[in-house]
Amino acid sequence: MNTKDLIEKLELKALSRFEHREATGVFVSDMLSDVMAGAKSGNLWVTVQTHKSIVPAANLVDVAAVIVTSGKNVPPDTIELASKHGIALLATPLPAFELICKLYALGLATK
Amino acid sequence: MAECAHRWEMANVRFGFVVFERCPHCLEVRTHFADEANALDEYREGRCTWRTVENAQSLKFDLRCRACGLVEDLSELMGLLYCTECLAECGVGQLQAALQAEKTWLVVAFGHLPESKQRPFASGKLEALTDYFNQRRDVSRSKVKVVPFHDMVRHISQCRGEFLHDVGALSPDVVVERKRLL
Repeated sequence: MNTKDLIEKLELKALSRFEHREATGVFVSDMLSDVMAGAKSGNLWVTVQTHKSIVPAANLVDVAAVIVTSGKNVPPDTIELASKHGIALLATPLPAFELICKLYALGLATK
Repeated sequence: MAECAHRWEMANVRFGFVVFERCPHCLEVRTHFADEANALDEYREGRCTWRTVENAQSLKFDLRCRACGLVEDLSELMGLLYCTECLAECGVGQLQAALQAEKTWLVVAFGHLPESKQRPFASGKLEALTDYFNQRRDVSRSKVKVVPFHDMVRHISQCRGEFLHDVGALSPDVVVERKRLL
């Protein structure tokens, strides 16, 4: 499933400028070190972190998108850096658990 | 025998904390990796009084080739910093600007202080790190290049690059702005 379909099906808000791509799995963590060690290329990274350091972490491991949950307010400098690097930064008012349940129902799981 | 085209994976992964200490007299900064967060608040060593100024949650790892079993020891790696092209005169920023058209993003490898000031990373380790992160990604979209801190970042005190550490992760307070690490 690609990010365009995900945005439509889950009513996600696209915060940054990016090219749509295929999402192959889900990785849930609020720790950059966790993401560096465990996330895979093409994963959707689900987090409540909004500091701009999420952008380099996402770029380093080549995730398909970062989804910020729970309606957290994402600072403009984070959005700007994500746009500069073409990182898909998405947001949802849903808490992480609900979002993950919906992703699972769409056939996306840890890969 | 043909040379191995290494396929790297993380090995010997340890999660812990990079501890930053500063002496208020000589203003030197030094770092070490600790498995637990309860570092000493302050201690004397020679003429210096070392105070912990930050704990950053991070990880240590080596790289192991899945094909030939070779292990690249990265114990001297303190952390990775993502270049944000913050200083026009910085060697890393200039290189990043030059590589941006081909969608190559620069990551600076920092060794532990103060040892890394005298002993830069071996180029083979940097190449292994570069290969590892590129092997994990779809390189048709973009690439990563790992470069050394030594000689590349001229004004570290002014650098606004992003350290890939979890600063303030143990704080009970909401972190509005991450502390600068150096």
